[in-house]
Amino acid sequence: MTDSRRIMVKVNGVDYERLVEPRRLLVDFLRDDLELIGTHIGCEHGICGSCTVLFNGRVVRSCLMFAVQADGADIMTVEGLAEGQQLHPIQTAFQEKHGLQCGFCTPGMLMSAYEFLNENSNPSAEEVRKNMSGVLCRCTGYKQVVDSVMEAAEQMRNK
Amino acid sequence: MKPCAFEYYTPQSVEEAIELLDRYGDDAKIIAGGQSLVPMMNFRLARPEILIDINAIQELEYIKSDGDELAMGALTRERDIEQSPLIIEKWPLLSKAISFIGHSAIRNRGTLGGSLVHADPSAEIPTSLCALNGRVKVVGPSGERTLEPEEFFLTYLTTSLEPSDLLVEIRIPALPQKMGWSFRELSRRSGDFAIVAVAILLFTEKTGVCREARISMGGVAPTPVRAEEAETLLSGQKITEKLIAEAAQQAAEETDTEPDYHASAEYRMDMARVFVKRGLQEAWNMLNGGQ
Amino acid sequence: MKLEGTYKFKAAQEKVWEVLTNPRHLENAIPGCEKLEELEPGKYDATLKIGIAAVKGTYKGMAQVADPQPPEKYRLIVEGSGSPGFVKGEALIELSHQNQMTIVSYQGEGQVGGLIAGVGQRLISGIAKMMLGQFFKQIGKELKAL
Repeated sequence: MTDSRRIMVKVNGVDYERLVEPRRLLVDFLRDDLELIGTHIGCEHGICGSCTVLFNGRVVRSCLMFAVQADGADIMTVEGLAEGQQLHPIQTAFQEKHGLQCGFCTPGMLMSAYEFLNENSNPSAEEVRKNMSGVLCRCTGYKQVVDSVMEAAEQMRNK
Repeated sequence: MKPCAFEYYTPQSVEEAIELLDRYGDDAKIIAGGQSLVPMMNFRLARPEILIDINAIQELEYIKSDGDELAMGALTRERDIEQSPLIIEKWPLLSKAISFIGHSAIRNRGTLGGSLVHADPSAEIPTSLCALNGRVKVVGPSGERTLEPEEFFLTYLTTSLEPSDLLVEIRIPALPQKMGWSFRELSRRSGDFAIVAVAILLFTEKTGVCREARISMGGVAPTPVRAEEAETLLSGQKITEKLIAEAAQQAAEETDTEPDYHASAEYRMDMARVFVKRGLQEAWNMLNGGQ
Repeated sequence: MKLEGTYKFKAAQEKVWEVLTNPRHLENAIPGCEKLEELEPGKYDATLKIGIAAVKGTYKGMAQVADPQPPEKYRLIVEGSGSPGFVKGEALIELSHQNQMTIVSYQGEGQVGGLIAGVGQRLISGIAKMMLGQFFKQIGKELKAL
């Protein structure tokens, strides 16, 4: 057992201070230590994207980071998208355009779309398809995912 | 699976990092972006006893140019290079190549130095570094040295770095204004590892005549390959469709392909030919203003 | 995977045979081989320590010089398993003489399984070829030192 480290992390606007083993993955820290189970674990090698979170403003695979690397960081998980009961436009769009079925990949889809739409507010369907291919989905065939992100883009432009 | 336990250090400077490497040698592994290392640790294929996290060494993260040369710190994130206005303007091949690396989440953490030290011959950064005539600066306990790509890349996943060495900087010479370029790769899905990748640069002086050609191929040998004989075929020649086809065939013959379950050796070699041909056409069209 | 190739050495066929079948030389030539301990004539207990990139493993197994027909041919059998997976290889090694050179040609099958095979499939064939290259390069050195 190696020395535990004290880390301070802000997640969804809330400050946390915890003791962690260096080998604790960020995704396990979020899910087990902070009980934020919205972020999912699919492959543990960075490919499926269901563990995607925002880390200091950029999406990362939380299964490929250690919690100790998040000391001092500002993280947003899927739980941070809505404001109280008010869903984020991306969430509403996924709801309306059936962008999810089993829901396992959905947190990864939402967080990836969040960064993507912040950088590109008027994407083409092709650009959306390319970006969202970073998260693996076995249910939707991606069509509804693309429709949802295009809908979200429009809603966010019209705000 | 979860990684094995390890001791964890966060050096704040290059000197501190080298001192740690020197102390722990072969038992230690540097972690930068972690996009190649952590998957191996999660599978328990890699079990370093000591992890030296260099992400706090700010002095290793920079993109700058004095007009003649591009200098980038080894810790520079792939995404920052991809989106850098300076690089998009002056070294667009590098930005395009990096856009093929995985997906944005990978590029947000992955680093320039990490990709080079990992030395996967299919990877976009090693392949394009060879086309760009880049050089790497390495620091060790006995001082610093600069290496050409042929001295740096030895074979699969192996560089000439010693256990106590740290890659610190990458330098790429300025390119002539009048240039055509292309970066293309074959992969089953967007973001997958390349089956073959090509990075091509063409320079001209007299209209219609190619002064210099650079053809770098990835995924076709234990290291990236510059197709030197194909380059010679094109140098000083009037470029025609026929010559491009000949050069592409020659480039394919300079590969040393291996089979795996993605592609047979013959397929890779033929795809090298196809992609070099397409890349040369694209670069040539660019040079001639789309004619 | 299929393994085959040819190497030429500037040495007498008997000397090459000696280096290719004697455990003292094989121990030096097999990449990562720490120790070859004789179990019975021609059969050796082997410990290999191989590290490629961050993947380091100790493989325990055996090496065998089977069906020897000196100085012309034999079968080399090597197998080992460790935490990253297992390796198995068998090759027919044939020696012949031409123009003051001894020609060694090998033809065989290699198998890699376990974790590295699943994750490292892209590179396995190339790495196997590379290690064979290292083996024969070291054989060349052993010959020079004789």
